[in-house]
Amino acid sequence: MKTTLLSLTALTLAVLTATSLAQPEARPIYPANSDKVSYAELDKLPDWRGIWQPAVGRVTGDQPQLIGEYKARWDAEQAKLKAGNYEVPETLDNCEPDGMPTMMTMPYSLEFLFTPGKIVVNQEALMMVRHIFTDGRPLPTADEIDPNYFGYSVGHWEDDTLVVTTVGTKPGQRLGVAGITNSDQLTITERIYLDKDNKDMLHLDFTYEDPNVLSQPWHQNHTFRRDRTWDILEYVCAENNRHPLDANGQTQADF
Amino acid sequence: MRTTTIRIFLLGLLATLSTVTLAHHSFSMFDQTKKVTHSGVVSEVQWTNPHVWIFVDVKKDDGSVEKWGMEFTSKVHLARRNFSQDMVKVGDNVEFTVSPYANGKPGGRFYTIKLASGKYYCDVGAAAALCAEKNGQ
Repeated sequence: MKTTLLSLTALTLAVLTATSLAQPEARPIYPANSDKVSYAELDKLPDWRGIWQPAVGRVTGDQPQLIGEYKARWDAEQAKLKAGNYEVPETLDNCEPDGMPTMMTMPYSLEFLFTPGKIVVNQEALMMVRHIFTDGRPLPTADEIDPNYFGYSVGHWEDDTLVVTTVGTKPGQRLGVAGITNSDQLTITERIYLDKDNKDMLHLDFTYEDPNVLSQPWHQNHTFRRDRTWDILEYVCAENNRHPLDANGQTQADF
Repeated sequence: MRTTTIRIFLLGLLATLSTVTLAHHSFSMFDQTKKVTHSGVVSEVQWTNPHVWIFVDVKKDDGSVEKWGMEFTSKVHLARRNFSQDMVKVGDNVEFTVSPYANGKPGGRFYTIKLASGKYYCDVGAAAALCAEKNGQ
């Protein structure tokens, strides 16, 4: 018995030692994290300073061509909405962030911070933060992805247009409108640019591609108005949320 | 005619759902087809996100007092819409209009308020016109 215990201990030690000695695979260092940084490069980028407020309700684009269970869900939700006194259950009501792509189009302010190799996007509502890598790194492969709220975003500039590709968002988040959600196969492409005639207007053109949800790419185009007078403000959703959801995903009318 | 009205209402509802819902939560718990107006004394002000709340003690016909809760938009939006914390204080006499809770609870979604100063403050949208008229703007 004693011998067995000793053997087991020795074996455990051996495994632990082997594990700790194993060299992790070297991870590449991309320009955003390298010793050499070029802040001068930022001067070549367009001026997106200030905060950007969405033109709420003025979304253009085409109609989503839904398929399979996603179409069935949409039809079911629309029927319930028409019957009245119903809301599409969404976790935002419990202060859980909507993630991508919804964080870009909430009726609060967006702010874009340019840094060498990375653009940080602040969404005022729920104080959401998103990181877009512009340092040339590739998107993660399928086995590297751990699905999350905002996914993994890489971007590059085509003249003065920022082109961003995002993958790896959590399945089941809102896609475009309440009642449509994404699968784990969603790819979001964004083209973001200043209006050619009005430098205080920003365009954000989305293309959603998800072979489980859509039979063809779906486009949604949003615009934003620049405000140079305000800074982004604090918004802690858990501060005083008096309308959490009940067990059926409906907002509780009990304050 | 009635069908047209209902269609317009539904369109409005859908527009509301697709935009305002994003603010934080749905407004399906409020009966937005109704407006109720009461007067009373401010008992509590919660200047917070995701919503500002103002509570008013309203005296009922039988003499008892009922606490009404008004849900405003966020502190963030109110700051940018010229409504500040010092405009309403505990003890102020106010008159307010809300879209009430559909389930009959004493509260609702803020529409307009007549402040102790005599000035009106209104929500954006349809209510704004009422403020412009009342405040002589």
